[in-house]
Amino acid sequence: MIKGYAGRILTVNLDTQEHHFEPLDEELARLYIGGKGYGVRLLYDLTEPGIDPLSPENPLIFATGPLNGSVAPQSNRFAVVCKSPLTGGIGNATCGGSFAYALKRAGIDVLIIRGAASAPYRLEIENDEVRLLPADDLWGEGTYATQKKLGKKFKHAVIGPAGENKVLYAGIVSDERIAGRTGVGAVMGSKNLKAVSVTGNHKLEMDDPEAFKAYTKTVRKLFKEHPVLGESMKRFGTGAIVNTTNGRNILPTRNFKYGHFDEAMSISGEHLEEHELVGVKSSCMHCPVTCGRDVEVEGVGRVKGPEYETLALLGSNLEISDLKHINEWNYLADDLGMDTISLGGTISFAMELQEKGAFDVGVKFGDPTGLSELIRNIGHRQGVGDDLADGSRRMSERFGGMEFAMHVKGLELSAYDPRGSYAQGVEYATTNRGGCHVQGASMYLESIGPLTINPRNLKLKADIPIVQQNLGCAINSMVLCIFSTYGMFPAAIHNMSPNSFTHRLLSRLMENMGPLFRGFMGIKGKPMLWWEKWLTHITGQKMSGGHLQEIGARIFNLERIYNLREGLTQEQDTLPSRILNEPIFSDTTTGHPLDQLLPRYYKLRGWDKNGVPTAKTLKGLQIRT
Amino acid sequence: MSITVQLTYDMAREVGSPTIQVSGAETVNDVLRLTRQRFSQDEESYANLTRVAALAVNGVLISYRRGKKTKVQDGDRVSFVKAAAGG
Repeated sequence: MIKGYAGRILTVNLDTQEHHFEPLDEELARLYIGGKGYGVRLLYDLTEPGIDPLSPENPLIFATGPLNGSVAPQSNRFAVVCKSPLTGGIGNATCGGSFAYALKRAGIDVLIIRGAASAPYRLEIENDEVRLLPADDLWGEGTYATQKKLGKKFKHAVIGPAGENKVLYAGIVSDERIAGRTGVGAVMGSKNLKAVSVTGNHKLEMDDPEAFKAYTKTVRKLFKEHPVLGESMKRFGTGAIVNTTNGRNILPTRNFKYGHFDEAMSISGEHLEEHELVGVKSSCMHCPVTCGRDVEVEGVGRVKGPEYETLALLGSNLEISDLKHINEWNYLADDLGMDTISLGGTISFAMELQEKGAFDVGVKFGDPTGLSELIRNIGHRQGVGDDLADGSRRMSERFGGMEFAMHVKGLELSAYDPRGSYAQGVEYATTNRGGCHVQGASMYLESIGPLTINPRNLKLKADIPIVQQNLGCAINSMVLCIFSTYGMFPAAIHNMSPNSFTHRLLSRLMENMGPLFRGFMGIKGKPMLWWEKWLTHITGQKMSGGHLQEIGARIFNLERIYNLREGLTQEQDTLPSRILNEPIFSDTTTGHPLDQLLPRYYKLRGWDKNGVPTAKTLKGLQIRT
Repeated sequence: MSITVQLTYDMAREVGSPTIQVSGAETVNDVLRLTRQRFSQDEESYANLTRVAALAVNGVLISYRRGKKTKVQDGDRVSFVKAAAGG
C-alpha cells in the first residue's frame, strides 16, 4: 500500500446491520488522492443514475486523505460525499475538528454508510470493532448535547434535529465544526443515523517521516510569522473579511440587492475581537492558525462564534448589525445542525418574498424579532419553517421570485457578490456542487487578497476558476483546509502598499499573463508549496503543482460527469437573474457578464459547447465512465 | 459637495466612527488630504495606520482608474480597504 493511507475501507450496511472491511484501491488512491476525490469516484461507481438522494440507495461516504492522521497544520479535515438532496447533483462538504484524525487512527481511510436503519441508531468504531447501537435517547438532541452525552473517549460526527428532519441544507457536525453544504446531514438523517463515533491507535506510516517532521516545523514557523495565517486570521478569524468585501462593494446586503452595508463594521471580525471574543478553544486539532472565535451566548455559555459567511448571510444580508443576535443564530444553526449560508440565503429570499406579498414568513429585513424562533422552526420543519427547510430554489418554484432566489444549482450563494468579482461568478456558475466559494476561492485573486487583478474586466476570468477549482479539488482530497492556500503570498506582498507603483505593476503583470497563467500552474516540476511537499514526504509520490492540477481536473470532470448523469445540464451553469441583470456599481447598467466568459471556460476545460467533457478530455484525464 | 469616507477598523477607532464626511474634494487626493486633517497622529503613526490599505471609490479600486487623480463627486464613497482572507 502507498504510505500515508490506512489501506482499508469500512462499509456498514444499516439495512442488514452488517459490516465489512476491504482494501483501499491503490490505483484509485493514485488517481484521486483520497477525501472528496476518492469519495466522488465511489459514489459514481456505487450508485445507479437517478436515485432519490434521501433513499437508502444513496450512500453516505466519509473519506480521509493521506495528510489526515498526521500533525500537518490544517490537516484535520474529512470529506463527506453523497448525492445532494438540495441540488440533485454531487453533494460534498468537508469538516474540521478532530474526527478525521480519529478515523485515520482507527485504520480507516473511507467509511461507507449504505441502506437505512429502521429506527435511530449510532455507529461506534474502535479500531477493528464496529458496533451499531440504538440511539433513541439521542434523537431530537442538538449537536452540542449529543456530543457531550457521547463522551470524550471517541471523536464524533453527528447530526442535529435539522438532519433528523431532513432539512435540505442540514450538515454533519464534529466538535464545533460542520460539513455544512449540500445537505449531507439530511442524507445522514434519512438513514436514521444520529452519530458516528470513532477512536483507534493505528499508526500512520510515512515514506520519509524525518523529512516530514523537519519540514512541518518550518511550515509552522512560516504560518506563525505570516501576516494572514499568523496574524489577521489569528486575531480576527475569517470575520476580518467583512470590512474588505464591504469596501469592495461585494458584501451581500438585503438579499444581494446591494453590495455595501453601512453598518458592516459592527459585524466585522475586528468588532468581534474587541467586544465579543472570549477565547479560541473551538479551533481544529493541530491547527496553529486558530481562526475559530469563541463567544458568549446568553443562556448557553461559551460557544464557537460566527465565521465570515455567517456574519454576512445572517448579518448584512438580512440588514442585521447586532453581533449578539448573529452569535445566537449561529449557535442555534450549529446546534440544530444547519448550513448558515443556505439558511441565511433562504431567509433573505423569504423576507423579499414577503415584501412582495407572495409569502408570509413573519420576519423582515433589519429587524431581529422572531428570527430565533424561525430558525428553530426551520430545524424542526414546523410552520413556515417547513417551506424554508427546502431552500430558496424550491421555495421560488412554489411561491415565485425566481429572479431573486440567490442560488446556483439549488445551493445558495456564498458571501461574495460576483458582480464585483467576475471570476468568482464563473466559479459559482460552474462549480459542480453549486453556488459555493470554497471549491476554488477565485475571489482571493481578484477581490480580497493582497495582490488582486481588476475583478471587473474579462481578463483571466475564465482561467482563474479552472486553476482554482482544480486546486480546490486536490486540497479537499488530501484533506487539507482551503485556508492553507492563503499562505501562498509571502509577507513581502502583504506588507507592500497597494497604492505603490510596484504593487500596481505586479497586479497588471498578473492580469496580463494570459495563457501563461494556466501554463505556469500546470508545470510538473519540483514540489514547492507545503501541501505538495507534505504529500511527497508522506506518500513517496512526487506531487508538484502541475500534478495536483491534473488530479484536480480529473476530480472536477468526474463530478461534472456525475452531474450530467443525474440530469443536470449546461442550463444550470448560470447565476441568479439578479446577479446577471441588476447593477450594483454606479458605473454599470447591468450585472455579471457570464455569457461572455462561459464559452471560453468550456473550451479551456475541454468541454463541448453544451458543457459536456469530450471523449478526448476524459481519456486524457484517465476518467473511466 | 459631501463625500463619505469609509475607514478601516483601526482608523475608525481613532476618530470614533466607521465613516467621516468630507466636503470640497474633487479628486481622491483631495479626499486623502481632508481625511488626514481629522487625525491627530504624527506622520509616521498615520502612515502606519493607512499603509496597507488600498483605496476604492464606490467599491472600485483607484488603481483601476486614475489613481489618486480619480475624480469624485457628491455622494461618492471612498473606502480604505485592507486585504483579508478566510471564507
